[in-house]
Amino acid sequence: MNYIKIATRRLFKKGEHSATRIISLAAGLAFGILLLAEVLYYHSFDSFYPDADRLFVVHENFKMDKSSDKLSSYASTSGAIGPGLKAEVPGVEMATRITHMGTSVFYTEDQKKYKAQFILADEFFFDVMPRSMVEGNAKEILKSPMNCMISTKIASEIGGGVVGKVIELKEYPGKKLTIAGVFEELPENTNYEYDVVVPLISIGKFMWDGSDNWLGNDRYYTCVKLGKGIKPESLAPAVRKMQEKHQDIVKLEEKHGGMVLKYTFKPILKMHSDNLQDIILILSSIAIAVLIVSLMNYILLTLSVLISRAKSSAVHKTCGAQPRNIQQMIFSETAVLFALSLVGALLIVLAVKPLAENELGHSLGAVLNPIVIIPIVGIVIFIMALISYLPARFFSKIPVVSAFRQYKQKKNKWKLALLSFQFAGAAFILTTLVIVTLQYDNLKNSPHGYNTEGVYFGSTSGMSGSKIGTVLHQLRSMPEVEKVGLGACLPIYGASGNNVLSPDKEKELFNVADFYSADENYLSILGVSVQRGEMFSEKAAVRGDVIISQKGAEMLKINNGWTEGVVGKDVTITEHGNTTIRGVYSDFIVGSKANPDSRPSVFFYRPEAAFIKAAQKNSAYSFKIMVKVHSTAQTGVMKKIEKVFNSALPYNDAVIKSLSLEQGKRYTKQRGFRNAMVAGNIVILLITIIGLLGYATNEAIRRKKELAIRQINGAKFSDILRIFLMDLELVAIPAIIVGLVGAWFTVDKWMENFASKIPLHWGIFLGCSLFILVLVAVASTINFTRNANQNPVDALRTE
Amino acid sequence: MISLKDIDRYYQSRFQRTFVLKGVDMEIKSGEFVSIMGPSGAGKSTLLNIIGMLDDPSAGEYYFMDNPVHKLKDKQKTEYHRNHIGFIFQAYHLIENLTVYENIETPLVYKGIKSKERKAMVADILDRFNMVAKKDLFPDQLSGGQQQLVGIARAVIANPTLLLADEPTGNLHSEQGEMIMELLQELNKEGMTIIQVTHSEKNAQYGTRIVRLVDGLVREDIPTNAKSLVAE
Ligand SMILES: Nc1ncnc2c1ncn2[C@@H]1O[C@H](COP(=O)(O)OP(=O)(O)O)[C@@H](O)[C@H]1O
Ligand SMILES: [Mg+2]
Repeated sequence: MNYIKIATRRLFKKGEHSATRIISLAAGLAFGILLLAEVLYYHSFDSFYPDADRLFVVHENFKMDKSSDKLSSYASTSGAIGPGLKAEVPGVEMATRITHMGTSVFYTEDQKKYKAQFILADEFFFDVMPRSMVEGNAKEILKSPMNCMISTKIASEIGGGVVGKVIELKEYPGKKLTIAGVFEELPENTNYEYDVVVPLISIGKFMWDGSDNWLGNDRYYTCVKLGKGIKPESLAPAVRKMQEKHQDIVKLEEKHGGMVLKYTFKPILKMHSDNLQDIILILSSIAIAVLIVSLMNYILLTLSVLISRAKSSAVHKTCGAQPRNIQQMIFSETAVLFALSLVGALLIVLAVKPLAENELGHSLGAVLNPIVIIPIVGIVIFIMALISYLPARFFSKIPVVSAFRQYKQKKNKWKLALLSFQFAGAAFILTTLVIVTLQYDNLKNSPHGYNTEGVYFGSTSGMSGSKIGTVLHQLRSMPEVEKVGLGACLPIYGASGNNVLSPDKEKELFNVADFYSADENYLSILGVSVQRGEMFSEKAAVRGDVIISQKGAEMLKINNGWTEGVVGKDVTITEHGNTTIRGVYSDFIVGSKANPDSRPSVFFYRPEAAFIKAAQKNSAYSFKIMVKVHSTAQTGVMKKIEKVFNSALPYNDAVIKSLSLEQGKRYTKQRGFRNAMVAGNIVILLITIIGLLGYATNEAIRRKKELAIRQINGAKFSDILRIFLMDLELVAIPAIIVGLVGAWFTVDKWMENFASKIPLHWGIFLGCSLFILVLVAVASTINFTRNANQNPVDALRTE
Repeated sequence: MISLKDIDRYYQSRFQRTFVLKGVDMEIKSGEFVSIMGPSGAGKSTLLNIIGMLDDPSAGEYYFMDNPVHKLKDKQKTEYHRNHIGFIFQAYHLIENLTVYENIETPLVYKGIKSKERKAMVADILDRFNMVAKKDLFPDQLSGGQQQLVGIARAVIANPTLLLADEPTGNLHSEQGEMIMELLQELNKEGMTIIQVTHSEKNAQYGTRIVRLVDGLVREDIPTNAKSLVAE
């Protein structure tokens, strides 16, 4: 029989809830799949490399001495580690080391400006992490100084015929690189992005060359390829031997009691997902909640429809149909609906594509890789089988005789059971959403310990040192500007580190977040003020003096026994040498609250004139000019500041940023995530409402006769409605509790990632429960009333 | 053709058994036209369903064409539905989302008859029942009598040896009812064995034999022309 044709005919029949079923399933599928794909996408990072399962990123695990109890682990090592591992550790087939030069503007000879991420890489780079070459020979290029390879993306931006062209980085004027090759652009799902590869042998032209250091200068991302079947843990003894031979690790350990330095291997395939465990947890919970809710809703509506058709199944049987035939019939009906829902889901995904890409921070196309596609297709097939099989089986099992005897489900317990999944899902996601939102707002809006209001900043990168003075002067003469300061780093972007040494310089006491140089205006704009000692000033400080955060002061007091305080004391800090502490300020948030840097911090004094002098002496030296405007300043002020910067920039490429906006951007991950939840919540609530409406309608129709008889016997409609609602809410309450418990566990786990947490107040849980309960009551009352509240005599007649 | 031996049918609730049929013995020969009569709730439909292998007796033996039905598997029963048994119902029970044509065709499809042959067979019966013009309509576009005609057409298209009809005229005007009864009589004359349930003495007269059922017991089993002792 042409089941598909007949199934299609059913679609347009009244009472089949076809549109409702398709829409709710499509919405659930679209959203559930989108989220699952996102989670799988995180797991697909770097999977495009051949033998990706044999690639490992070398991690340096370090502990200074007995005083620190935790090993800190970084995905970066000293330069000699990579080649050392290959030479000394059997099982390491290949090794490469690469390091960032940063994202930089560069110019071609015809003065055109482009922007790209530059890296330095040794000659084994493309052996370990290959890219296919469009032009040039990677191996040769990586061996020849001051050559470089660019990605197809950059090549097409520049236009054809790029090989042989010469480029120059904005930060490194005069250092010319010749393009010698073009490689296939990297996909988006990679941990280590780059557009331009510069041979590592050229590093000395750009910065200090530590590429063969065994200790320190641990800036290298080292990636090794292990032999087939080699377990990374099994390499530990050989690695240790290498350390004994080259680092003299035994002696180091004796000198610094309790020091630990060891190297471990992390699968490249886990580099990304391991950092996102919290998000993966929530996203997959929501995805599963959405899918289950929409499936249960679909099955609920489908079974309700099928019951009204039990008779036709019996008729088919009397015509000689076997259960198998009936199953096929129902199966094809479901298949048609499912196919339409899938198409609908696809359309929804296409419709929300721009929005989704914006929130997720990558193109949806990037998700189309086997690691994502294969499980998704599997899940879709599973869902399809499930929702086709269950109703088909249920339907074919209805005995013929009872089907003919006015087959109507006497019990509605199973409907309530299916509905309870939806209530649980709705309660789960609503509560999770509310808490995530509160946590997000708490992160973003609570004070970070420094001022961002009316603060703008730009870099002097590319500005000739002789023009900086003029820029400062022009800025200061703008009526809107209150203050202008100079500094090297910003709290929002975090800080690199240096070590504070013990007074005898034998021991490294602790690591600090090093903000390098700043002048007094810079600190005053940020609102960083000293509690003890004195703020930097021309009179009270000399260049190189330091102020340290409260936390650092405490650690110094304990370590050095400076009970009387730290102000006026001399300390030695690596890279800076000996310096005098001028003051102590309150700790502020370094980085973002989502990912705070808990180290103490330091600023070193550099007066304005010294900044300018440094820039004049070294054209590669750049710093930030920070501008504080009056609160009355108009929005156009950013453009005005930009104009002043541009007057000193040969390519007019100044970028002025607002500190508060940039601070907000530190939380994009959390925001995108919160927005994903809002969307999920809307989808689940919609599906739940649809399910409830369908349920209430079906119940009203199913019980029409009973209701009519009750009414004739004197029951008021409101009494009947109350009983109906009570039944429903009695199911809703335990389901909601299950949802709340799920939300509590999920959120609790998620919050482990934050240093500052909002309290999980019981009011949140109560509020969300009440919301769902009221929603259940309102939605079902409307439809129950609409369908049941008719003249009882009419109801009996139509029976 | 049909042999029922001491058939019981009861429903078991938690504390008690309710007998719907009790000790029913019956022999029906090929070519008979039996009318089962009795008050509402007497177990007529239940008996018909057991004969039609839609329901199983709780006890007793049932032989259909000398095969023990009580030992058959569902699959084998389906084979009987395909090849030997047709059903007509009081409420017609047409499949609402299939056209007249498709409804009539359904048993042939399950029987596995080829499309071309099916076309010819359905065309024949539509012609015989004067329904050619209605073949593309859906059941709800037909009058009750026309729907029952389709029901009969569907029941007999595969040329069953046994036709079971549960109050086939119960929902029809007397005029339409007469037409249906005449049709059944004609089919019986062509050799089809028919068992009908009816409330009407007049309709029962179309048959050859009357079985009276009261409270699950066979009270009387006589030829149509014999004088009933129990009928009021
Ligand atoms: N599934 C069932 N459960 C309980 N009782 C049933 C069931 N099916 C039928 N009965 C009972 O069996 C009796 C006979 O039913 P039926 O054969 O339909 O009578 P009728 O002679 O009116 O066709 C009735 O009293 C009915 O209530
Ligand atoms: Mg009956």
